Amino acid sequence: MSSPARNFDPEPGSVRSGSAALGKNVTVKGQIFAREDLTIDGEVEGTVECHEHRLTIGPNARVQAGLKAREIIIQGSIQGNVDATDKIDIKKEAKLVGDIKTSRIVIEDGAYFKGSIDISKPTAAKPAPQPAPAVSQQPLSQPAVATPAPVAAGSVK
Amino acid sequence: MRFGVANEAPAKSSLKDIPPSLTRHSSGFDQFCGFLRASEGLSILDMSGASQANITFITGLGHRISSDDIVGTMQQCFGADFMDNQQAASNAQRFIEQTLTFPDQSFDGALVWDALQFLVSPVLEETVAQLLRVMRPGGLMLLFFNADEKANRTPVYNYRIQDQKTLLQTPRSGYQRSQHFNNRMLERLFERAASVKFFLTRDHLREMIVRR
Repeated sequence: MSSPARNFDPEPGSVRSGSAALGKNVTVKGQIFAREDLTIDGEVEGTVECHEHRLTIGPNARVQAGLKAREIIIQGSIQGNVDATDKIDIKKEAKLVGDIKTSRIVIEDGAYFKGSIDISKPTAAKPAPQPAPAVSQQPLSQPAVATPAPVAAGSVK
Repeated sequence: MRFGVANEAPAKSSLKDIPPSLTRHSSGFDQFCGFLRASEGLSILDMSGASQANITFITGLGHRISSDDIVGTMQQCFGADFMDNQQAASNAQRFIEQTLTFPDQSFDGALVWDALQFLVSPVLEETVAQLLRVMRPGGLMLLFFNADEKANRTPVYNYRIQDQKTLLQTPRSGYQRSQHFNNRMLERLFERAASVKFFLTRDHLREMIVRR
């Protein structure tokens, strides 16, 4: 007797949760590009980029890399520069040696940090360009400069 | 001129031996803030380790802040007794290699706080030399020194900025032996600087601003 067919396709309309993770026993040497939230709890050497997403460096992580993301949460050890367009959150057990560039930073007492912090405020949205005022068009036959009125002879002293 | 340590048995700090937190008015920091407010885009070094309060205050004024936890480095290199253990050449070398590892003339201002009072010769002079090296000409440094010559132990504090005139001292790791400096000793320690200014205080801290 055959078993009924089972459908392993995702249900229509469902969305897979966008979150990836590297466990504490994982070691990566090279470049990591993520288009979803990423949690790293292992060893990474190289660069990590998660543009427009959240990057979490777990408590067991040992990272020797430059990091770029929208938001970065740090609980482990990092040696490298950190660039977050939105926010960096450094927890008390974190150790960070490197320079930081971000719009906002939260650092808990007890966190170890050595490096510089550059706060870059998000640029204000430029106002929509206003339409230029209408300028009346003069016919080509009419001169742009008014001609002086004629002066009568003998009137100027 | 060498700065030495009085012959005293090292005091052992216990977990219960925690100094109290203090809020104090600081004329020296008030003057340092005048320097901060007069310019934009300065590069400031905070040697008390990274803290939300200090980062928010300095960056709120439009400046860049760097952090170097010099007391934390002392703890790593000298262990429980700063004074005794820095006499060992290997410990002293390790401390110098890990402290102020910035390029020349990196900073317009430095908040040194009271860290230097826990150092003795030759580590003290070498640290001051590194400090002057990383400062830009005309830059200001704010320093505190214990002014109570009878005290044989000094609490180890973190310094957190409350506002332009107020600092919060939070206990860090109990007490350590420290040097006592008079004004003349401090002037000679910073004889390579452009100027030194002292501030009178009501408590046992001597505040000074050094201009590179």
